[in-house]
Amino acid sequence: MSNLIVRDLYKTMTHTKTHLVQSKEIATTCVCPYLFKMSYPFGVVGGERDYLVANTVHDVISLASTTTILDNWQQGKTDTDFENIAKSIDTDSEGIIEESIANAKEKARMEGKTPVLGTFDYEVQDRFHGLMLGLAKRVMKKYERPKRAVTEITITNVKQVQEGRLDAIFEFEDGKYGMIDWKTNNINKASGSGIDRWQLITNLLLANYRYTGDENNWDKCLFGSVVYYEGAYFPRLPLSEDWIDKIKNDRKFAHEILCGERPHAQKPAFCPVCDRNGESSFDCRFYREDSKRASQGDLPENYANIRRLLVKRRYLVLDERAETHKHKFVIDTIIDRLGETTALQELERTGIVHCGYKIHSVNANSITLVKTFDNEDEMTPTLLEPRKIVRIIGIEKDIPLLACVNEKGFVKEVQDTKLVVDLDGNTIAQCARIQLFDLPIIIIPDEINLTRRVLEPMHRFHRLAADIMLPSDMFLDGNQNEYLS
Amino acid sequence: MNISLDTEQLRVLNWRASTKDIAAVVGPPGCGKTTVGSGLAIKMIAEDIAKRVLLVAYTNAAANEFCRELCNILGPDVARILCLRTGNPTGIDPLIPIPFSRSANEIHEKRIIISTNLSLKRLPALMRFDNMIIDEAGIERLEHLLWPLWFGVDSAKAQQYKNRHLNNYNSPDIETPDSFQINDLIELISQCGTVATVVGDPKQSRPISPVRVDYSAIEWVKNRSSCDTLRISHRLPDRLSGLVNEFADYDGLRSASEVASRRLTLERLPEKEYRAIIQPDEVTTWIDINGNERPFGPTSWMNNLEAKASAKVCNHLASITKKSILVITRFTAQKQIIRHYLQKMGHPEFKVTTTTGALGTQADIVIFSLVRNNLERNVGAAGTLQDLNVAISRSKEKLFVLGNFDMMLNGWSGVASNGKHYYKSPVRKLARLIDMKYGKVVDAPEILCR
Repeated sequence: MSNLIVRDLYKTMTHTKTHLVQSKEIATTCVCPYLFKMSYPFGVVGGERDYLVANTVHDVISLASTTTILDNWQQGKTDTDFENIAKSIDTDSEGIIEESIANAKEKARMEGKTPVLGTFDYEVQDRFHGLMLGLAKRVMKKYERPKRAVTEITITNVKQVQEGRLDAIFEFEDGKYGMIDWKTNNINKASGSGIDRWQLITNLLLANYRYTGDENNWDKCLFGSVVYYEGAYFPRLPLSEDWIDKIKNDRKFAHEILCGERPHAQKPAFCPVCDRNGESSFDCRFYREDSKRASQGDLPENYANIRRLLVKRRYLVLDERAETHKHKFVIDTIIDRLGETTALQELERTGIVHCGYKIHSVNANSITLVKTFDNEDEMTPTLLEPRKIVRIIGIEKDIPLLACVNEKGFVKEVQDTKLVVDLDGNTIAQCARIQLFDLPIIIIPDEINLTRRVLEPMHRFHRLAADIMLPSDMFLDGNQNEYLS
Repeated sequence: MNISLDTEQLRVLNWRASTKDIAAVVGPPGCGKTTVGSGLAIKMIAEDIAKRVLLVAYTNAAANEFCRELCNILGPDVARILCLRTGNPTGIDPLIPIPFSRSANEIHEKRIIISTNLSLKRLPALMRFDNMIIDEAGIERLEHLLWPLWFGVDSAKAQQYKNRHLNNYNSPDIETPDSFQINDLIELISQCGTVATVVGDPKQSRPISPVRVDYSAIEWVKNRSSCDTLRISHRLPDRLSGLVNEFADYDGLRSASEVASRRLTLERLPEKEYRAIIQPDEVTTWIDINGNERPFGPTSWMNNLEAKASAKVCNHLASITKKSILVITRFTAQKQIIRHYLQKMGHPEFKVTTTTGALGTQADIVIFSLVRNNLERNVGAAGTLQDLNVAISRSKEKLFVLGNFDMMLNGWSGVASNGKHYYKSPVRKLARLIDMKYGKVVDAPEILCR
């Protein structure tokens, strides 16, 4: 296969075929298809909630999962022991907690966010303890100590046009796995309803793909659980076929929307956002009515012109989002044709991927990789350069390439054999060190998905145009003048 | 204040300070877009035309340029009091004395705020500016233009406009004044109180969406609002401004008197092998070289012989002059390979960039590697007007073009949908203009072909 054939593949893959739907987007679609459309294509961005505590707890758990949680895992304990297990994990994780809190405060300071509250340290420790209690009570009780934990892993299943970031997977001696989704953003009780359940099952499909190469193969799945503060939700296995079908149908719906098609959207009998007047419910009602009237040709012409322009621009932005996934589709297609080893050699020769790296060191949030050349005199240009976004993949045996452990970062420095990549924070760098250190590394180009923020100005001007150009009685929406106030 | 403006810059400055609408200012290469933008912001604050002005650029480098220009004009002490830089702290030049902050309160207190387009999403949605100056260079999405325009929307004016509009809507029999027929987004934004000046150049800017759209953001504004064009270049010497003017159809671009006769000055004579190509009196030299192109990566190309030749010319120039040198190419792979050769020759300090990265930069000497060379004479992406225009207009004294002259003279850039007709590439015009009128085509000397 020559370089030109790889390049032809890039050309022939039109943008409509390279969309990937994120697990969270599928879960949102499962709750209400209109909620998904709020983000894509409309670009409604949710409120500026502060997730500092939740993110910090997430950082702590990411590091603790591979160390202190595994060390303190005890199966079959009685109720009285759970508190002690959680306390042991707390004690052993003190260093991780302190470091994560310090990093979070420093990051908040650098980003000019509102000052961190005095209760911040306590909230992080308390929420972590609650989650460990939930883990001990519900998960450790049932299952033996796993042999390995994999955290913060992004899995791309190109054939099913799905991608998602999984919080933690625990691998057991018999080759089975259990997947956990940590609910760090509140201290609500465990619940098997709503978006959490859909996100868990959606991610389980990706985990199946990682361990068996087939999302429908449940042989290796031992459990999936959403761990809450002092509790956990376990869907009973095997999962209901209806649930899985719903997820697949909604994934198809979301994919079609991203591709610019117009699948029929039906508001469910109860939507937790609109029917409780939640955040974005005004916008949701507005867009439902707006779309309906536009399709009926029932809008003033001057407004319809602006509306048309803004809707068209939104789909162009979505097309660009699809472009950012193209590398993964090409890599997957060539692996299918040539097998992984030959495909990687060919892709490296043509400059798409970069093989042969090993992790050399980790310093704060930077990771240094070194490459050994077979022939140092041979000059091969590299498309890696500062500020490019890359995905660092640690190749694992018998696991599809785009489901192997990986981390995303910005290239900071490129020298002949040395590559320094900046990761998103110290915790991510530490996780990468633990998970990628002994593995052969390949580097593929990746891109950041900024779509929702990019779409936001279109939403603002769309609402402004409607507020000004439509008569007040056109929409039954008491909040119509939001953008004029 | 330390500012000297030419007649055209003064005209634009006075026009924009006295008009409250959205307008485009087209600035061909070297015409002082940054100077006009900074000067305009200061004029509006000094004359109390605006309380708060937002200066926006797409890249941190361009935002830093605005800051430097503000410091030059105002002096560092006054700039420190009046101005504030916001956005991402990592891209800021620490030597610039203008303070940095993301705090909404501090931003409210200052009169001139400088930011990148992408950082505007961090500002509170209700923050407002009386006037905006937007450097369009580098913008590749309409949304990046819409973000700053949002911060000019005045709710009171929008409400007034709504009342007028609805009166009209409810009385369809009354004849409608033209200004009430909103059928365009710019018109709507303008009527809602946004006052903005978008500075840029459609002949250097890229399309606002790489997918299916072939017009740039400045073109979009220009076609929907009033527009003025600067035509005096303070960078390009006469022969080069003539070349750029004719190549990109600027309709009257000329050199400022202080730069018109500028030529390359050398500290030593070039070595014998290089004398044919390094001729100080000739502003533009096309080095005709026949290297083979090679595809690399998803869309990139490289040409090893041209890369080596570019590095050799750089290396030799470094030994005979201390002038700044910039190497430009359309392709990332070529950029990397030229950089590699320069490093091997002991010159990691020379800037090698793609045409995209070259926008907004300049140097005394520019070496432009065209890369593409094939039997089909397909120039492809190397031959777009914007890329070629950026590459040939960065130089203050001397421009070298490296490429196969015959190939470029007959190059085409695409095939029509019927598969029979070929689109002629703008590079043909460039080759012809250099050969016939504004430069010299020279065979690559033996030393560059090894």
